[in-house]
Amino acid sequence: MSKHIERVQPGEKIFDWLLLLLSIGILFEAFRIDGGLKLNSAGSFPVGLGLVMLASSLAILFSHRYKRRAEHLHNAAEEFRAFIRDHFKPYIVVFSVAAILYLAAIVWFSFYLSTAVFLAAMFIFLRRGKIISSLVITALATGVIYALFTLVFRVYLP
Amino acid sequence: MSDTLSYLLMAWLDPSLLGLTALGVLGGIYIGAIPGLSVTMAVSILISFTFSWDINNALALMVGIYVGGVYGGSRTAILLNIPGAPSAVTTAFDGYPLAQRGEAGKAIGLSTVMSVIGGIMGTVVLAGTAPYLSDLSLQFAPRDYFLIAVLGLLLVSSLSGKSLARGIFAVALGATIGLVGMDPVTAQPRLTLGSMELMGGISYVAVMIGLFGVAEALYQLHNLAKVPVKQNVDKIVPPLNMILKFLPLSMRASLIGVIVGALPGTGGDIASLFAYDHAKRSVKNPSRPFGEGAYEGLVAPETANNAAVGGAYVPMLTLGMPGDAVTAVIIGALVIHGLNPGPMLMIETPYIFWFTVGNLALANIFLLIFGLTGIKIFSKIVEVPKAILIPLIVVLCVVGAYSINSNMMDVYWMLGFGILGYWLKVFGFQMGPIILGVILGPMLDESYRQAMSSVGDQGGQFLLSLFTNPLSLILSSVTILVLLSNTPLKGWVLARFKRQ
Repeated sequence: MSKHIERVQPGEKIFDWLLLLLSIGILFEAFRIDGGLKLNSAGSFPVGLGLVMLASSLAILFSHRYKRRAEHLHNAAEEFRAFIRDHFKPYIVVFSVAAILYLAAIVWFSFYLSTAVFLAAMFIFLRRGKIISSLVITALATGVIYALFTLVFRVYLP
Repeated sequence: MSDTLSYLLMAWLDPSLLGLTALGVLGGIYIGAIPGLSVTMAVSILISFTFSWDINNALALMVGIYVGGVYGGSRTAILLNIPGAPSAVTTAFDGYPLAQRGEAGKAIGLSTVMSVIGGIMGTVVLAGTAPYLSDLSLQFAPRDYFLIAVLGLLLVSSLSGKSLARGIFAVALGATIGLVGMDPVTAQPRLTLGSMELMGGISYVAVMIGLFGVAEALYQLHNLAKVPVKQNVDKIVPPLNMILKFLPLSMRASLIGVIVGALPGTGGDIASLFAYDHAKRSVKNPSRPFGEGAYEGLVAPETANNAAVGGAYVPMLTLGMPGDAVTAVIIGALVIHGLNPGPMLMIETPYIFWFTVGNLALANIFLLIFGLTGIKIFSKIVEVPKAILIPLIVVLCVVGAYSINSNMMDVYWMLGFGILGYWLKVFGFQMGPIILGVILGPMLDESYRQAMSSVGDQGGQFLLSLFTNPLSLILSSVTILVLLSNTPLKGWVLARFKRQ
């Protein structure tokens, strides 16, 4: 009789360890609120939540004991490579970096200029070319955003 | 009575409210249908644009989007086997096989009518029960609120995600985020890491937009190349005898939907799952085997998920506790507009309740109209490539987060929570419990501390009070049962019973 083996995703165990560290950090911060455990104070509930997070993150880690990595991944190095391959695909990295640059650009330039540049660049990049149609869609989208948010919703934008 | 009626018909008689409800339903159908765009995302983004509006206008649009969005997810589930929303996952089980058999039109028509029946049933139950529940909830002590919030959080953590531990972690994380800032009683800074920026707390709208908008956009980048398969859809209005045949099942599914929807923290996704399971167990001779295009497998979840909308409003309007993630966001909208969701809402602002009831009914009428028409345009719009959709979602998220306080800090928070949400999502955590935690956390804190104060800060007395009052005893027992049912102890107890 074959036993069903649960699989963990590449990076899942490390992520769950990070959650444990986060729980410890929160618990430490919660204890600092009142300088100790009190039943009814500003810190009592955060301490309780910290303990719940600690217990649940330990339970998550404990649940890994019967889990194995995917069959085709034989060691930690292969798992690491699979993790990078899955989550850091070039277009995801480019998109994420572009999004961060876009947020920074809003402060330096205006919202509409940065938005138009971001949209045009991302449409062209994600659609692999199609420059003319991407620029047309950018112009349309920026126009709709302007009409909707500045004229209709009257949202103040930087 | 006349006041109630005028509040009830407010959305029907005011052209601008009527228009906004219609617009909301129409927008909701499309938003719900586009995989990657969720109703919660739409309402989260919308909340920041509408907080300068009149509350009625804001609520009309949100109710419309909510009703339309819950239904919209079923269309892509039937046509493309891609549920546009979690509540439409079960719809795909039999809806897609029906489409493959060339009955996509009939399936969409049937799901529309059943959604409307479910929606109307949910609204009727809301109107019939909420006023009594609201009166009853005035008798609740802080410890009862504490127990209800714990029960809600426990339910949402046990019914969602990969495991109970992950669900509980998500809820606790959300509640912790909700507590960041100054303590409302002693003004002590909590979890601020000594930062002045964090003294005012983290805007939960920024958290919502980050978790539901940016995280989802990043997650959807993985399936950028997925191309939907087109389906031919012609006549979609279902014959009357078909509707009558499935009416008893839809009534039962409505009831399941309303009850599940009314449990704090659960929503249309769980309601549809329960209803599908009920249909499988109760229908002896389905039109086809379940999973192979049984109409019953389409009717039950579609009725239940829309009935859950009315159900979700019950705890929100009576106890101030969200029924699901969307009502959690709507609570945020009410608070931003200076209203106080909870038992006093019905006393202080009864028009909000009756307006919502009338608005929900109206939204269902629009759902019937829009659901049975415009299918051709619909099939074009849902085919919008993700390469266009994802950058636009990011821009909308930026606008939404910035417009909360006209502050870039909220945008950075939104981005941070978006990245955190992406990794949580990747590793099997759900976003709904986090948001419910953000909303319910401060409420839990407040009710816990009030309850503790009422027993003179004595831990033993507090625990005793949870079991010595009739209502608290019931709530404590249910909480313990829910907790135990999710542990290995359940299997042990069942095994002992079987042995005996």
